[in-house]
Amino acid sequence: MRKFLLILALVAGTSAEAQLPFLSKRGPQSAQPVLQGIDALRAEFAAQSGGTTVYFGAESSGLSVPARTVLTAQAAWLRRHPEVVVRVEGYGDAGDTRDHALAVGAKRAEEARSYLVLLGVPAPQVSITSWGKERPGLGRAVTILVR
Amino acid sequence: MKRLFLPLLLTGLAGAAQAQQAGTPAATVIAVPPLTSPNNGSKGNEMLAVGWQVTQQIETDLRQTAELMPLKPKRDDYYSYPEVTAPTFSKWRSAGAKALVTGFVQSRSDGRLTVGCYVYDTEKGRELARKGFVIGPNDWRRAAHKCSGLAYTAVTGAPGMFDTSIAYVAESGVGDGRMRRIAIMDSDGYNHRYVTGGEALVLTPRLSPKATQIAYVSFAGGKPGVRILDLDSKQDRALVPNDAISFAPRYSPDGSRIVFSMMQGQNSDVYIVSASGGAPQRLTTSPGVDTDPSFSPDGSKIVFESDRGGSQQLYIMNADGSAERRISFGGGWYASPQWSPDGNWIAFTRRGQEGRRIGIIKPDGTGEQVLSNGPGDEGPTWAASSREILFQRVGSGGRSGLYRIALDGSDARAMTIPQDGSDPDWSGVID
Repeated sequence: MRKFLLILALVAGTSAEAQLPFLSKRGPQSAQPVLQGIDALRAEFAAQSGGTTVYFGAESSGLSVPARTVLTAQAAWLRRHPEVVVRVEGYGDAGDTRDHALAVGAKRAEEARSYLVLLGVPAPQVSITSWGKERPGLGRAVTILVR
Repeated sequence: MKRLFLPLLLTGLAGAAQAQQAGTPAATVIAVPPLTSPNNGSKGNEMLAVGWQVTQQIETDLRQTAELMPLKPKRDDYYSYPEVTAPTFSKWRSAGAKALVTGFVQSRSDGRLTVGCYVYDTEKGRELARKGFVIGPNDWRRAAHKCSGLAYTAVTGAPGMFDTSIAYVAESGVGDGRMRRIAIMDSDGYNHRYVTGGEALVLTPRLSPKATQIAYVSFAGGKPGVRILDLDSKQDRALVPNDAISFAPRYSPDGSRIVFSMMQGQNSDVYIVSASGGAPQRLTTSPGVDTDPSFSPDGSKIVFESDRGGSQQLYIMNADGSAERRISFGGGWYASPQWSPDGNWIAFTRRGQEGRRIGIIKPDGTGEQVLSNGPGDEGPTWAASSREILFQRVGSGGRSGLYRIALDGSDARAMTIPQDGSDPDWSGVID
C-alpha cells in the first residue's frame, strides 16, 4: 500500500533549506540539547496535534479520517498561536514523472491548507509549497520545523 | 598505394562489425579523408594541422549517430587540394564506404580561416553537397560540426544535430542536500558550463530556440516557480511575478511565447505568456492536473498531459486552447510529451507495471512504440534530426544519467557528463 506524506513546517519567513532538521544537524550541537525557543514550539505543536504528517492514498489528494483528526488538532493549536506561521509542504510519488508529481504535491498541500482554513485558521497564517518527488530522502518521516 | 589500401579495408570491416554490434545494420559507411589546404610552406603545415583536428572531430561527430559509420581517418592519407573536388571513388568503394566527406582549410589575410566541406556519393561518383564558411582561427570545432551536419543531412535527409546545445540539471552530492545546477554544453559534451549557482533547487531547464535564454523552475522563493535566465546578460527574472506555483515551461518554436503550468487552488492548468513578460492567458480549464505542454513545430498546436480522465494521458489542442482531444489509449499512464522537430512524432514517458519507459506516438494517436527498457526513464527531448531522443535514466543504484536512443531500435547509450544529470533539453540547430 503506497502512501504519501505531507509535511507541516512552522516557519517565520526563512528559506526552506534552513528549516530542514537534517541540515541543522550540520551545525554545532550541545551534547544534551535542551528544548527551548523554536524547538520547544515544534515539540509542543507535534505533541498537541498528534503528529505533523498527513498521509494520502495513491494518486489521491482526499483527506482520510485520521488525516482530518491530525489537521483538526493542528488547527486548534494554530488558533491559539496566531503568531506562528505554518507552511504545508506537499509530496508526490517517487515513481511519478517530475511535473505531475509537483502538481500532485501541490494539490495535497492545498487540500490540507483549505481544511485548516475551514477550521478557522487565518489564511495568511498558512502557506503551501510542493516538493514533488524532489525530496525522496524524507520518506514517510514526520517533521515539524519551527524557527 | 597498396600499403594504404589494406589498413583502410581492415578499418572498413572493423567499422562494419562495430555497426552490427551496436544493432545498426543500416548505418551508412562514410570515409573521412583528412582535410587538406591550398596553402604552402609553414602556413600550409599549420592549416593541415587545423584540418586534421577538424577531420578527427568530424569522425567523432558522425560516430555518435546511428545512421553513419565513419571509417577511421588516417593522418598520412592527405588529399592534394585538387583531389578534394575529384576524389578517387573506386578506392573508397573498395574500402566499403558509400559516402565521403572531406574539404580544405585555407588561411586568410585577416587571420581567419576559410573552410570548405564536400560530401560525395562514392557509388554514383557524384557530389551530394558542399558548403564553405569563414571561421575564427580557433573555431575549428564549430567548423567540424558544420561539416558533420552537411554530411549527415546529405546522407539521411534530416537536419544534423552537431551544432546544437544541451541543457540539463547537473547533480552532485547525496541525499536531500544534493546540489543541483543547470549546466549547458555543446551536444558533443564540449564547452560545458554551469549557469546557476546551486543555492536553490532547480528543475527542467528549457532552451529558447536560439539557445540564448533558458526557462527553468527554481525553488529559490520556497516554492517552485518558472524563471527566465538570459545567458548573455545573466539577467534572471520570474516569468510571472505572482505567488502561484508554476512549472513545466517550454518555448514556442519562434521563441516569442512560453507555455507552462500554474496551480490555482487544486487545479493545475496550461497557460501561455509572452517570453518578454505580461499577463498569462489560460488555455485549459478542466479540473485536475494539466501539465507538460509542448508546441508542434509550426506553432499551431500544443500537446500536453492531463489526468482529467482519472489517469495521465496525452491530449492535443489548438494553440489558442480550443479543440482538445485525447490521443493516447494504449493502457498505462502517459506523461511529459514533446513534439518532434519534423512534426511527425510525439515522444512521451509511459508509466506502468514495467516502470517508466520512453516511447513515441504519432499526433493522430497511431503508431505507438516503446523505445527504451526503463524502468527509471523519463523526460524525453528530441535531437534536431528527429531521429534520436535524449532522456534521463535513474539506474538501480539511484544515480541519474543522460541517455541517447535512436528511433531505429538500437540500444540506449549513456552520454558522458561530469556528474549525475537529469532533465535534459536538446536545442535545434543554432545558426
